[in-house]
Order: sequence, then structure tokens, then C-alpha cells
Amino acid sequence: MATDTYDVIIVGSGAGGGMSAYHLTKSGMKVLMLEAGRDYDPRVETPMFNTNAEAPLRGVGTPDKPFGFYDATVDGGWEVPNEPYTVADGSEPFIWWRPRMLGGRTNHWGRIALRFGPLDFKPHSRDGLGYDWPISYDDLAPWYDKTEKLIGVSGAAPPRNLLNTPDSPPGCLMEAAPPRAFEIFYERGFRAMGIPVIPMHGAVVTGQMEGRNTCLFATPCGRGCAIGANFQSTTVLLPPAMATGNLTITTNALVYQVDLDKAGKAKGVSYVDRKTGQHRSVTAKSVVLAAGSGETARILLNSKSASFPNGLCNTHGMVGRYLMDTVGLNVTGQFPSLEGLPPTNDDGQGTEHTYVPWWGYEKQKELGFPRGYHIEIGGGRHMPSMGMGGLVRDDDDLVGEDLRAKLRQRFGSTISFNGRGEMVPNDDCYCELDPAAKDKWGIPVLRFHWKWGESETNQAAHMVKTFVEVIDRLGGKPQGHIETDGRKAISKGGEMIHEIGTARMGHDDTDSVVNQYGQSWAVPNLFVMDGAVMVSSPDKNPTLSILALAWRSADNMATLAKQGAL
Amino acid sequence: MSANSPEMEPEPYVSKIDRRTALAWIGVVGAAAAAGAGVVVYGPMKGGEPVHRGYGTDPKLTKPEKAPWSRIMTQAQLQTAAVLADFVLPASATAPAASALGIPDFIDEWVSAPYPDQVKDRPVVLNGLNALSAKVLKAAAADRTLAMQALSASADPLTKAFWKKFRGLTIGAYYTTEAGFKDIGYIGNVPRSSDPGPSAEVKAVLEREFQKLGL
Repeated sequence: MATDTYDVIIVGSGAGGGMSAYHLTKSGMKVLMLEAGRDYDPRVETPMFNTNAEAPLRGVGTPDKPFGFYDATVDGGWEVPNEPYTVADGSEPFIWWRPRMLGGRTNHWGRIALRFGPLDFKPHSRDGLGYDWPISYDDLAPWYDKTEKLIGVSGAAPPRNLLNTPDSPPGCLMEAAPPRAFEIFYERGFRAMGIPVIPMHGAVVTGQMEGRNTCLFATPCGRGCAIGANFQSTTVLLPPAMATGNLTITTNALVYQVDLDKAGKAKGVSYVDRKTGQHRSVTAKSVVLAAGSGETARILLNSKSASFPNGLCNTHGMVGRYLMDTVGLNVTGQFPSLEGLPPTNDDGQGTEHTYVPWWGYEKQKELGFPRGYHIEIGGGRHMPSMGMGGLVRDDDDLVGEDLRAKLRQRFGSTISFNGRGEMVPNDDCYCELDPAAKDKWGIPVLRFHWKWGESETNQAAHMVKTFVEVIDRLGGKPQGHIETDGRKAISKGGEMIHEIGTARMGHDDTDSVVNQYGQSWAVPNLFVMDGAVMVSSPDKNPTLSILALAWRSADNMATLAKQGAL
Repeated sequence: MSANSPEMEPEPYVSKIDRRTALAWIGVVGAAAAAGAGVVVYGPMKGGEPVHRGYGTDPKLTKPEKAPWSRIMTQAQLQTAAVLADFVLPASATAPAASALGIPDFIDEWVSAPYPDQVKDRPVVLNGLNALSAKVLKAAAADRTLAMQALSASADPLTKAFWKKFRGLTIGAYYTTEAGFKDIGYIGNVPRSSDPGPSAEVKAVLEREFQKLGL
């Protein structure tokens, strides 16, 4: 490897790293990809069709596997061994989900693939809050088209022309999976409230697609997919990139620094081998950071030099700022109307078949919060888990035949309503280097600061109100304690695993870290191609946009490289 | 099929071991025989230090290994768990009893686990089993049933907590098995070439419900 010369080093192998590697290798550039985690092959490592009874503790989440035994995440979760992070005194809670595996979080993600809409790129122009992006929806739309066609997204439907909820052009999406019984059911409740329910856009291959297997409509996507029928960087982006012969991947390489030459250009990166503890430096003509918003900021902040004493690209103190996450909240209802339905196979396409897009764009003033949320709704007769006892928690005395009968009756009769909302960036939410804490290899770690604003807590309170109302209209009962105080009901910072915005794009170096193509203002051959570049945090889940932005940025970068501009 | 019912003396519970564990045990027996020990031992490996570690952050997922931690329940606790699990879910005409599915072993796996949730459950379950042990293992059948029926009605918070926890674990462990799937009507986890959506019959039921709800 030492004798190889690379055009590009890409740090990270998830959505941003995978997509940039896909495009740059296809453009003929020699790419070295550095991934902090281990090699991972979904084709042989995915527990397809395993039952919970085969897993320790019936597959429940533990500190070793927080999202359950079968969750695809390797060597990680809310804590990664040997790699701590801290939360500042006086901060609200912040938690940070990290895997240590090839493909990163694309292996376990929820496959919800919604486009940002036109208003999402110009939030400040709309209501005076937050910041506008340097690009518009029209700039990114062609890249959304290309991305959907490449990764495989289901949810095709006749155009609805809903405000700020883009319909994909014909030919971009595959057929929508049909609504299941619980989805038909809740639609009627929302309809009575004047709230639309439309097909979900899911990164799942539901039809015939060249070079891809079709979904088996079974076994959860969160485990990964051995047949590559959903989108994972490891099944969709990295194999074709490898096939070009232009991609080299080094795993267990935890990058902590961008190295500069005397002229101030990036000459490579330094990393520690997580298995041996050895420090290494590698060189290339340019560098792409796509390590995830937190880790990307950490690398920049740890790259200190005489020219950049506070970290690379941080002359104006912008690195780590404008950290955002999604507002999250859940209310579950139990519905007598769904009791005793004839047995149905509700496994479906893995992600929801329908959802509720934000419907209140024109009522924000009267609602008392500025931005919206969509609703992800789970239910149906899913493979039983250790949570089954919850179906009869109020019927303590039932045993034997009566218990069996009650469980059969209630199975599949609960629906969980999950709000996912936009956060307005604020000055209290950011990350920086902890002045004292270091990881196992002596590298300073991130310290997070977090505080939800009223925009978010009011929105959270509205979610609760909406969910309780729809449950009531559908003749159901909310389960457990219902917290109506938005500040108490809202998710923790980072909990939705949509942390973005630590190296945002903008118009110049005083308001941003990178330009609209992820090219850093301070170092022309250094690029950021993950969620760190995002300027706002729309309610729509960020992965599809990370992919589309990375493709657009990589395309620009390849052009610059051909022009000799790097 | 071992199944404890209130009318009969409880049959001794024999641990249900999975195939992989059985092979490991046969391996032990085989090794002992090969070494010329002349003694055939059937049972889990004894001796050595108890293991308190979890399965780690990168366990093998496609063929999960048996949970690595040592089991801590005593024979009396295991036998009591078997009687109580079969009180919660005795055999029905079409489904096996909880003990036949190895639920007592799962309770042991659960309370023995090193993770915080399970460590918290440990005294709740073990103290409850200890308190119940004499009342179910050495009592007349009628007294045994009364003792178990009294659990759900108990005003004592510890007893109540034990009952809720034990019953919840039994239900969860039972219905996560193939036999549990069959009993509750879970028909998924099979590959399909397409998702046809719900049947006309299901849709008709929903329509009737919408009428009742005025939707």
C-alpha cells in the first residue's frame, strides 16, 4: 500500500463515504477508503429469518446490543468500547450512536428515504428562523432522481402535489407496497382529522430491478439484508466501486487528523489502527471526510497546526456548531377494532408502507411552533418479542386458556405513532473537543452541548395531542403514561440518530465551513460529504439527502480533479 | 411431554437443552471417554470459575452461540419456576406447556445475565421463587394451586412485582418460540415473491369496524 498513490482518501464508508467512493471510482480516480470499524459482509453475516428464541435473552436489547441482539450494528451503539464522548455540565442529555463496521449506519438504518422539499432549503426566507442553504431544491432534484434510481426506492404513487412534500418524477420509484390492515385502519382516523396518509418512500427493492434482488417481504431490514434488497452501502455502493479496480479499503482505521503540506493543502490523513494501536499516515491528492457529523467535526478539531490553532477550517469557530437532530416522540395505542382479525402476514417491506407527511405548513402561526413533523407508524402482527406480556399488563390474573385467548385477541392490535420533526438550529447545541477526556489512543474526544428550543418542545407537545386524538377517533386507548409537557416528552438530543450540521455549507467562509459542493473554504482539496454539511434539519430523515448531496459533491470534485484544480 | 397441571404432583423438570448445547455436552462425554476416565457424565460442564461476561458487542448473529454466562438458579428455584410457568401457560389441546418449551431454563438464563435490566430483575424473581418454593414443591395439589392463584391478588408489592415479572417473562419466552407463533397466529417470517396485502375478509372486517366507529 505504501507504494500506491491515491487520488483521494475517503474517511468513512456509510452513506456519504459509500456514495462518494461510488462516483469517484467510476470517474477513474484511485480511492483509498478508511473505515474505523471492521470489515463487514451482509451477505454472510445477516441473521435472516432467525427467531428471537435462537438469540440470547430472546433477542432483547442490552448494553452490548442496544437495539436488540439481531440489530446489524457491530461494536457500537450508544457507547463504543474505548471511544468515549462527554456531555458538558449543565447540558441537556445528548447521546451518540456509532457503529464500527464497514458501511456504518447504512447497515441498520430505517430505510425511510424522503426527499427534502423546496421550503426545507430556504427556512430562513420562510419564517426568519435558522439559515438558508446555498442551494435550492431544484439544484438537488436531479441528484435525488439519480439516487433513487440507483439505490432502489419504493413508494410510487400518482402525484399528490402536497406542499413541500416532493413527488418523485415517473421512473424514479418502484411500486408502493400495499397498505396493511393497521395502515388501512389508521388512515381512516387521520382522514377524519383532515390529515393525509400517503405511501412511504422506502429504500427497498419491491419490483424488478437490474442487478438487484427483490425484497422477500419478510425479516426486519434493521438486521441488514443478505440478498441486498434494501439499501446498504455495503451491498449497493461498495461492490460496484470495488469492481472498478479503483477502490482500496482499509478497515479498523480510526482517522483522527488531516495532514497538511507546507502550502496549506491536504496531503493525507493520520489514523490509529484500532486493533494494533499503531499510528499511520497515508497520503493522497485530496481528502474527503464522511465519517459522520460528529466524527468529521472531531477530525477537523483535532487537526491543529500553526495556521489552524483551533482546528482545521475552524478559523471562524464554525466547526461543531449548528449541530441538529430530529425531534422524536412516541405514543402507542391499543385498538379493540383490530382485535381478533383473521391471521395476516404483516411482515411487509421492512419499513412502513404508508406515513403522514407534515400537513400544517400554512397553520404554523396558530399552532405555536414554526416547523413540522411527519408521522412514522408501526403496527401489525409482527414476529413476537419479549414485549408480548405488555398486551395483557392490565389483566394480571389471567392464566391458562384465558390468557392464551386474550393474547390471541390482542396480538397485532396496537399501533405506535412516532413523530419525527424539524429542529431549528440554536447556539446551545454544538460539539467541541473535551479539554481533558481522551480515547484509548490518547486522542481528544468530543464534548456535546445540547438544549432543545421552544420550537421543538412546543412541536413535541403537539405531537402528543395529535396522537392521542387519532387514537381516540379510532376507538383506542393510549398505553402507559401520556406526558403532555413537550419538554419532558421530547427525545434526547442525538437519540433519533440524525445528528447533522457540524460543518455546514454556505456562501463564504464567515458563515460556513464548506461551499455548496462540500469543498472546504480553508483547504481547497479537502471535502466534507456527510450530514455535517447540512444547514437545516428538515423532518425528513437525512440519509437520502446525504446520498444525493454526496453524489452532487463528488461529481463536482471529479470535474475539478480533471481540470487540475485540486 | 412434561406438563404440570394443578391436579397432579409436579413432575420433576428436566432442563431442555438446545441441539448446540447437547453437542457440546456430548463432546465433553466423548472427551472423557477418550481419556479413559471410565465415567460417563451427562450434564453441563462443572467446575472452573463462574462466567459473568456478556456476549460482547460483536456476537455472531447468523448462528448465535449459547449465552456465555453461568446459570445461577438452584434446583429448587428451577423446579418452582417449572411449576409456576406451567400455571401461567399449561398445555392446551393444541399447544405445549411452558415447561415443555424449556421456559424455566430461559428464566435461569435471564436472571443469571450480567446486564443491568436482568441484574435488576434477579432478586425480584429469585426471592419470589424462594418464597413460593415450599408452597408448591412440597404442598398438596390444592394448596399449591391456591398459593399460585394468590400471587396476582397479593397486596404485597414484592409479591406483586414478582408475579408481574415472572408472568411477563414466561409469556415473552413462550410466544417467541415456533410453538408460540403457531398458538398466537403469527404466520410471517417466510420468504414471499410479493406482498399481496390484506385479504378481502380482513378488509371486510375493517369496514364493519369503521361503520361502528362512524369513520
